[in-house]
Amino acid sequence: MADERKERFFLDSLRRALGPPPQASRPMEDLFPRKPSAEDQRLLGAVSGRSEREREELLRRLRAAAAPLHLQIEAVVDLAAARATVLRLVAEKSPEWGGEKQLVAWSHKLIESLDLAEPLARQGIPLWMTAPIDPGLAPEAAAEERARQRARIAASFIGITTADFCLAETATVVLRSRPGEPRSVALLPSIHIALVRRGQILADLKELFALLRWDERYRGAGVSNCLSLISGPSKTADIEATMVHGAHGPREMFLLILPD
Amino acid sequence: MSAVRTERYVEESRRGIADPVLRRALSGLQERFGRGTAEAYRRLPEGPGLRQTAHAIREKAIANLDLLLERLAARIRANGGEVFFAATGEEAVSYCAGIARRRGVKLAVKGKSMVTEEIGLNSVLAAQGVEVVETDLGEYIIQLAGESPSHIIAPAIHKTRNEVADLFARKLGIPYTTDPPRLTQAARRALREKFLAADMGISGVNLACAETGHISTVSNEGNIRMATTLPPVHVAFMGLERIVARLDEYEIILRLLCRGASVQDIGTYVSLIGGPRRPGESDGPEEFHLVVVDNGRSRLLADPRFREMLCCIRCAACLNVCPVYGRIGGHAYGFAYSGPVGAVVTPLLTGVQRGRDLCRGETLCGACKDACSMDIDLPRMLLELRAILAAGDATWGVKPEGGLERNVWRIWAGLVSHPGLYERLLRAGAVLQGLLPRGVAGWIRRLPPPLSGWTQSRDFPPLAKAPFRSRWARRRREVGRG
Ligand code: SF4
Repeated sequence: MADERKERFFLDSLRRALGPPPQASRPMEDLFPRKPSAEDQRLLGAVSGRSEREREELLRRLRAAAAPLHLQIEAVVDLAAARATVLRLVAEKSPEWGGEKQLVAWSHKLIESLDLAEPLARQGIPLWMTAPIDPGLAPEAAAEERARQRARIAASFIGITTADFCLAETATVVLRSRPGEPRSVALLPSIHIALVRRGQILADLKELFALLRWDERYRGAGVSNCLSLISGPSKTADIEATMVHGAHGPREMFLLILPD
Repeated sequence: MSAVRTERYVEESRRGIADPVLRRALSGLQERFGRGTAEAYRRLPEGPGLRQTAHAIREKAIANLDLLLERLAARIRANGGEVFFAATGEEAVSYCAGIARRRGVKLAVKGKSMVTEEIGLNSVLAAQGVEVVETDLGEYIIQLAGESPSHIIAPAIHKTRNEVADLFARKLGIPYTTDPPRLTQAARRALREKFLAADMGISGVNLACAETGHISTVSNEGNIRMATTLPPVHVAFMGLERIVARLDEYEIILRLLCRGASVQDIGTYVSLIGGPRRPGESDGPEEFHLVVVDNGRSRLLADPRFREMLCCIRCAACLNVCPVYGRIGGHAYGFAYSGPVGAVVTPLLTGVQRGRDLCRGETLCGACKDACSMDIDLPRMLLELRAILAAGDATWGVKPEGGLERNVWRIWAGLVSHPGLYERLLRAGAVLQGLLPRGVAGWIRRLPPPLSGWTQSRDFPPLAKAPFRSRWARRRREVGRG
């Protein structure tokens, strides 16, 4: 194929430009190691051996990092308190683009265990739960289902997701892509609410990447198809350097932290 | 390739300097970011030395580019994505145009990307009937205004809120307001429609990670996440150098990128993308294409003097401290890249000869090197470029400059090695300079041609009445007598 030839030509011209390197001695094990380094080991150890006191400290740092980013942190004592918080937000906030109040949420055990559907139904507020696209569907049917989900997500003023992790140092919510958990739930609605357990709080990106690269529990999916690191609501300072929240993504973001 | 106007540097600089609004905006920007960046480097847990670590990581990546790009491409293909290697900007553009044709694309939404600016993507797609919408608020503003970006990170820095107000009232039909939140809201509303209707999303790549096979994008607004999530096709463009080997190395560069670009610990939205959506996922693009662009970069790679420039991640920290950029603004540099990074990279990508004024305009003060998140020695390369221009260079197609400068130095060398002649000339000069206009403290205000250029904006010290050599001799005699 022409493209393949082109590609070979492209890479060859790079090799020519690089000149005769110590090709044979190029450090493949350094470029793409197959074993965790001492530093990786240290990071993995830090995560697995974290004491209750250290976890407290992480939560404190998370709060400190979140405040200037307008990421609002609510540490709740139990599921009932989390449900109350969500319902309070639903009552207080109004849809940015007009129309009826609607919510969309990932189909995820943690979100389901909040039992939001019933109290919302009583108020006549729809709660859309997303779902994986059935691989058995014909392409047209799948496309229709996708369009339906997208329309619901776009019409919702609040989107509720969980998170894989949360990083204290930068107040970052970490989402790995997977079926049933559309990325746009954390993007199109004006308000994003993310739920995590306390044990999912890591110190920083270094710990996250060490886990994704080397921890048996996570390295299968690894970085996943699309890893989103979200640190607060959308913002811009493009007009005379004035900070405005809600440029394209959510205007407000809440992180609910549940006990383990 | 998009239009190159580097030969108009001097003229455009004058225009920039004469524009008080631009000057105020730029000094505000440099005030905020320039200092903040240095402070942010100091606050790094590893200390400011992390920049040197980053430099080493980037150099290693550049030295192994072929391996890294192969790995990246293999991973992305294994995940169902396409990778296209484009030797020239034209190839890159026509690859994308081909996808647009095949998919019947009418509307494309774009995240800010300097490389697409460099290769002139928008105009080609537009000529094909595709509406291309820039979605970064700053880029959107200047696209509506029909201009080009003047800063890598803050493209609309040269626009005042009043100008934006006029523009939005005219183009978006909203009531006139100069309130940034309301203006932002208007753009948010208009662009949301575009995101939801777009057939194609186009983005750049801040940095790729070869080990895992991901590209990544960073934004605060969320526009890139929109553009890479909602449309059915995502085409990402990257300069061939924007890659590191491992994820832990990616982490270091990412942190420095965010600090250098906007004094943040991390951008609001960082996405690592490894391919199209998986079966069962309800959103994310069904097609993902990565276009790796050479467009002259392998020439930098081949030249040991300039290979270091490929370590650049276009964070724009060097713009935010550059005294020259701060006065003349980004448009003067005549191409997608401005400031110190532009002064080096633009001539190398678009012609050293025609861009000869760019490296001469910079002051070599060294502020850019200190601010550079990747600790790149920009002043060294500015000097290399000047040397090439003076002496000529076949690789870069530069003919040696006319003999004037060289001859002047030759004459000078002849003079100083003939003290008698030298002294006679000095004495003559000391008398003749009486004819010249004097300013403060007797300094000469204007030299006659061909030296008049020197005194265009500064005075020249007058020759001493008695030359130092004779004063020295006299003192020696006096001291000897005493
Ligand atoms: S030269 Fe350095 S400071 Fe300037 S854009 Fe490149 S990486 Fe950033």
